[in-house]
Amino acid sequence: VTDVLKPLLTHEMGSLAKPGWRVKAYAGKTLSATDVEDARVWGEKIGVPNHEQLVELLERAPLESREDRAEVTAWSARYGVRLLESAGLDVVYDGEQRRSEMYAWAVAHSNGFDFKGTVRSWDNKYYSKAAVTGPISLGEPYHNEEFAFLKDVAEADLKVPITGAYTIADWSYDERYFADTDLTAPLSDRKAARKQGRQDFTLEVARNLIRPNNQALMELGAKWIQIDEPGGSTDPEELDLFAESFNASVDGLDDGYFSTHLCFSDYNLFFPAIEAMTACRQFAVGFANYDTRELGVSDEDRPGYAVIKKFRDLSYSPVLGLGVLDIHTDFIEPPELVRDRILYAVEVFGDPDRIHVTPDCGLRTRSWDVAYAKLVNMVEGTEQAKEQLGL
Amino acid sequence: LISAYLHGIYPRSEPVVAATRDLDRGRTTPEAVSALYDQDLRALVDVQREAGLDYFSDGLLRWQDLFRPLVEASHGLAGGALVRWFDNNTFFRAPEEQGEISAGELGSVYDTTSAVPEPRVATLPSPLLFSRVSVPSGDPNDLMRELARGLLRPVAEQLVARGYGVIQLQEPWLTFHGIEDADWKHFEESLGLITEGLGATTVLHTYFGDAGPWIDRLRDLPVDAVGVDFFETDVRSLRSGWGSKGLLVGALSGRRSNMESVEDIVKLVKMAAETAGPEAVYVSTISDLELLPRDLAADKVRRLGEAAAKLREEL
Repeated sequence: VTDVLKPLLTHEMGSLAKPGWRVKAYAGKTLSATDVEDARVWGEKIGVPNHEQLVELLERAPLESREDRAEVTAWSARYGVRLLESAGLDVVYDGEQRRSEMYAWAVAHSNGFDFKGTVRSWDNKYYSKAAVTGPISLGEPYHNEEFAFLKDVAEADLKVPITGAYTIADWSYDERYFADTDLTAPLSDRKAARKQGRQDFTLEVARNLIRPNNQALMELGAKWIQIDEPGGSTDPEELDLFAESFNASVDGLDDGYFSTHLCFSDYNLFFPAIEAMTACRQFAVGFANYDTRELGVSDEDRPGYAVIKKFRDLSYSPVLGLGVLDIHTDFIEPPELVRDRILYAVEVFGDPDRIHVTPDCGLRTRSWDVAYAKLVNMVEGTEQAKEQLGL
Repeated sequence: LISAYLHGIYPRSEPVVAATRDLDRGRTTPEAVSALYDQDLRALVDVQREAGLDYFSDGLLRWQDLFRPLVEASHGLAGGALVRWFDNNTFFRAPEEQGEISAGELGSVYDTTSAVPEPRVATLPSPLLFSRVSVPSGDPNDLMRELARGLLRPVAEQLVARGYGVIQLQEPWLTFHGIEDADWKHFEESLGLITEGLGATTVLHTYFGDAGPWIDRLRDLPVDAVGVDFFETDVRSLRSGWGSKGLLVGALSGRRSNMESVEDIVKLVKMAAETAGPEAVYVSTISDLELLPRDLAADKVRRLGEAAAKLREEL
């Protein structure tokens, strides 16, 4: 993958919203004229080859055959790739258009879990939550089909986002490794049993699920795999386990470039634990959510980025994927704001090779109009930074 | 005296989940969603009635988080960034102090008194928690007092006037993050601003952490009862001599799908009651049941009721 890497490389970060035509057509529902028009307009706007075929397919909705519905998701993936390519990103994926959800998709393709129902994440956002109930193993490689498809579709280089072991363990109930409900035993005994159970659970996910899935992707030609860990800092007392689980997930897979993605946390908590995370070549981290919208490159102007000095000082010199787009608002970051966030980071690191540019997180809660406008400005802001740095 | 009740936010049913998702995507109407919320509330009341609980909770079904309706009803606060809710995969909007804090009326959609029988229990954030998860414009302790005086007290009075007999204040911050010694007197004062002469039973419930190091100070706070998370706290750390202070035994996990047995719950409550010797014992879940799917949550409510019934027989 090293031939892909360059200073201030821009890359995607996880999921995009699923278009209305994709959701309705896949569900076998009728589409409105607006839905079909949306597919046509975006197909033209971002240059999806042969998108007229999708429009014809959608005009036949409701779609009853499994083949037609699968075709709709394939088109959705093509659109996702092209949206990112058209915005000008260097490294892309498909906005996870073919996946149900980052946790449920992985667990549904694994052995040892039972889904228990729906739990709220925030507001009206929810996820399906499972319990581990038996030995964990890979049911089938669960990203190979989409990766094989995208290899043929994408013009830009690909990075495969996958859900990490710690997050899968953290977002699951545990009915296997620590199931005791007697709360009268001494706390120290219960804590020790909990800690051991948590470690056994997380490392079993890393070794028996994530690593085999990584290996299967690499055998298909994947070079860059991003292990997403939105749950990474959930428990400050388990950060050593988080780091250990990352290393176990990529153990022996020496030909791969493995990065991780962290978001919406107090990143100070990750230190010093991630000093042990030596197999990680890049930390892609959301910062814009905590930053001001003022221009400028001083510490005072960029409070959301104060912690990046700690990433700079990691002994194994990982790249920092610098989150410059707040994915929780429709505010379109001006290129100049993106530029200044980058220039600040380059100044702190003293090395543009160690800075890549990304959104804070997946843009799936934003409309495509907003997501696209943000990404276009991200690329433009990166170009402005490069120009200023003489790159 | 043993009482059992449910506190905090209760999970939504699958139809409400689907409808609220559709609402966000413009595929249904607020009226249709509201009808489903009403249906969920009726079902929740039925579960509590069948379980034989002593107070009825409305499960805060429409609350997007523990602070949002209060922020919406206030002057001087606004909703801010999404922040993780302690060590859970759930998030809330951190309130931001933007001026002098005062209370308006809670939105009418949050008034559930016509559907929830008496006696009722209401849940509010403790002033320490509220001030620490917020973004203050100045000193956090000043904010704590202002939240207590300007917002939580008036809202608590509104709830009491509507017939709520128990006001529970959620306090996970203390046991998860701790508190500076110098801040304790501000916490105590702020609690007093809410509870003194309120005319309802007040419970300060600690969870998501070990209450052991704070037990002596907690017992001296101006509330009628103190709640303890026994997943994180050793029952032996309660110590004796609770006297007139009530004890809420957090006995069923709101974060684990494992179902506690009636025997385990009864054993824990008896041990806690024998150790502390409180005048009143309340039995409940450790945290809200929000972090469980609704079917599992309902099973836990039933289990709570069974355990309370057995305790009443045996104690």
